Amino acid sequence: MIPMTITEKIMALNSGRDKVVPGQLVWVDVHSIMTMDYLGEQCFKQFRSLGVNEVFDKERVICVSDHLVPPPNEQFATMLNRWRQIVKEHEIAYFYDLGRQGIAHQIMVEQGHVLPGKVSIGTDSHANTYGAVGAVGNAIGVTDAAVAMATGKCWFRVPESVKFVIKGTWQPYVMAKDLSLHIMGMMHWNGHLIYKTLEFTGEAIEALDMAGRMTLCNMTVDLGAKNGIVAPDAVTQAYLSGVAKGDWEMIASDPDAHYDAVYEVDVTNVGPTVALPDKLDDTVPVEKVVGRKFNKAFVGTCTNGRVEDFAVMAEILEGKQIHRDVNMIVVPASQAVYLEALKRGYLQTLVEAGAAIDTPSCAACAGIHTGVAGDGDIVLSAGNRNMKGRMGSKNAQIYLTSPAVVAASAIRGEITDPRETGTY
Amino acid sequence: MAKITGKCWVASDYVMAYDIIIQRFWTSPIDKAENAKWVMAGVAEEFNRENGFVEGGFTFIVAAHNFAGGGKSIEHVVAGLMGAGIQAVFANSFSRLQFRNAINYGLPFITCRDLAKGCQTGDELEWDTESGTVLNLRTGEAFHSVPVAPFVADVAAEGGLMNFIRNKIADGSIHELH
Repeated sequence: MIPMTITEKIMALNSGRDKVVPGQLVWVDVHSIMTMDYLGEQCFKQFRSLGVNEVFDKERVICVSDHLVPPPNEQFATMLNRWRQIVKEHEIAYFYDLGRQGIAHQIMVEQGHVLPGKVSIGTDSHANTYGAVGAVGNAIGVTDAAVAMATGKCWFRVPESVKFVIKGTWQPYVMAKDLSLHIMGMMHWNGHLIYKTLEFTGEAIEALDMAGRMTLCNMTVDLGAKNGIVAPDAVTQAYLSGVAKGDWEMIASDPDAHYDAVYEVDVTNVGPTVALPDKLDDTVPVEKVVGRKFNKAFVGTCTNGRVEDFAVMAEILEGKQIHRDVNMIVVPASQAVYLEALKRGYLQTLVEAGAAIDTPSCAACAGIHTGVAGDGDIVLSAGNRNMKGRMGSKNAQIYLTSPAVVAASAIRGEITDPRETGTY
Repeated sequence: MAKITGKCWVASDYVMAYDIIIQRFWTSPIDKAENAKWVMAGVAEEFNRENGFVEGGFTFIVAAHNFAGGGKSIEHVVAGLMGAGIQAVFANSFSRLQFRNAINYGLPFITCRDLAKGCQTGDELEWDTESGTVLNLRTGEAFHSVPVAPFVADVAAEGGLMNFIRNKIADGSIHELH
């Protein structure tokens, strides 16, 4: 047997082959396909145009309302009505609509629709998130979704693998997001990791909870990578227990598998990190930008809208007040996250501190609704993209960072190192 | 076999998908003619008007690193370029998401290193689709591109992945996809 990486093994297993090699084009069986409110109607229409009436498996085409809910205008309300109608017509088993909604990628993982050793695809770029459980998660377009809905298959070019060995110990108030931004600064946004698989290994990854693994895999798309993946372990097993919709087995890279490159990062030396406005890879340690003023704070998204993120924020904001010049919007990534954060009292702490909580959706991250940025706004965001106009106005600036940095900074109204929070 | 000749538009590194199709059109239907009207509106000020890019009459785009990058998977990007009459895009590298979409639509995204250094906007190029050679008719300089993979050529020959699959469903060979 030739040694293979976990991604190569998954491609081989799900395409009925003993082996695959990077560069090979293969048709792969997909375990699940996600589509959502603003592209879903087009997916179904294209699917029907293939001359097929029923999707390949009604339990494995997952539909989610996340970008447009609750609709901020008539156009989106009408789009949503058409979307609901078409989902109903196709008798889709899992439809996470307003009331049971969440950001699609959060839903796919927390509801057990993505499994280790399988391939799942979604019509949104952050489908890379699925790698957190040891799946190959990939973003695809409407055409690929339509073909997969009909056939249960998708073509792939087997990617070259790059290994990141993350060593050391996580320091207080340092989050997976800081590591993501650190790697972004190191490797550059859409630089030479284009089309690669990024495999995250090492003791600091083993120590990372599922929320952190999701953050890390989520942002690999912004490095230009094809997918990010963490091999399943005891953390994965515990997370999927009771939620996994289907059987799965442990899978790992062969010890002598080939990697195009191997990078080592000692997370002990990674501190809270900030990406400066407009460019994701323009990252600096928080110390370099301490004191910079901002007026909007945003925590949510498929990158950082989870219970663990709100736990850190609640710890920092407990008994504190958000500065009066800062408007903070917090958006849980799903109804399940919302409920759990509510039960644990995190949302109460955040509201008492002066944060506004909004119902789960992609919210202002895509610049569509719920607190979009206007001219002159300076946003401190725990989202995933900061290019001009991303959250609304092209005349707004977006700093990206971790939920811990956003929470600590919101108290002072200026960028603050969360490690100093105990000192004032 | 075929040689395609036409005018090129030369881009720099990092022409982003969200500038090719600007934010207000992300939720529009995918339609080659419609998407073409405002295609490239965010890439250059001269294209930021209705039919701004279409009226340039370009057949080729010559770009450098990471054409159509930035992490948007929307197919309006490729549809809009095709609607504007673009028959091939040459670049040093492409974004993964749009590279896929281009293959699925049958618009050749061809890796051709350093072509951008040997062209100016408006130059007439001649692309030999079989050998992959791109000739700049103004300067006489020839460039060699990476040949198209057989699967990609098959999909393009049938007018895109939808037709490719439609034909396989119709003739019963759909189960042979491997």
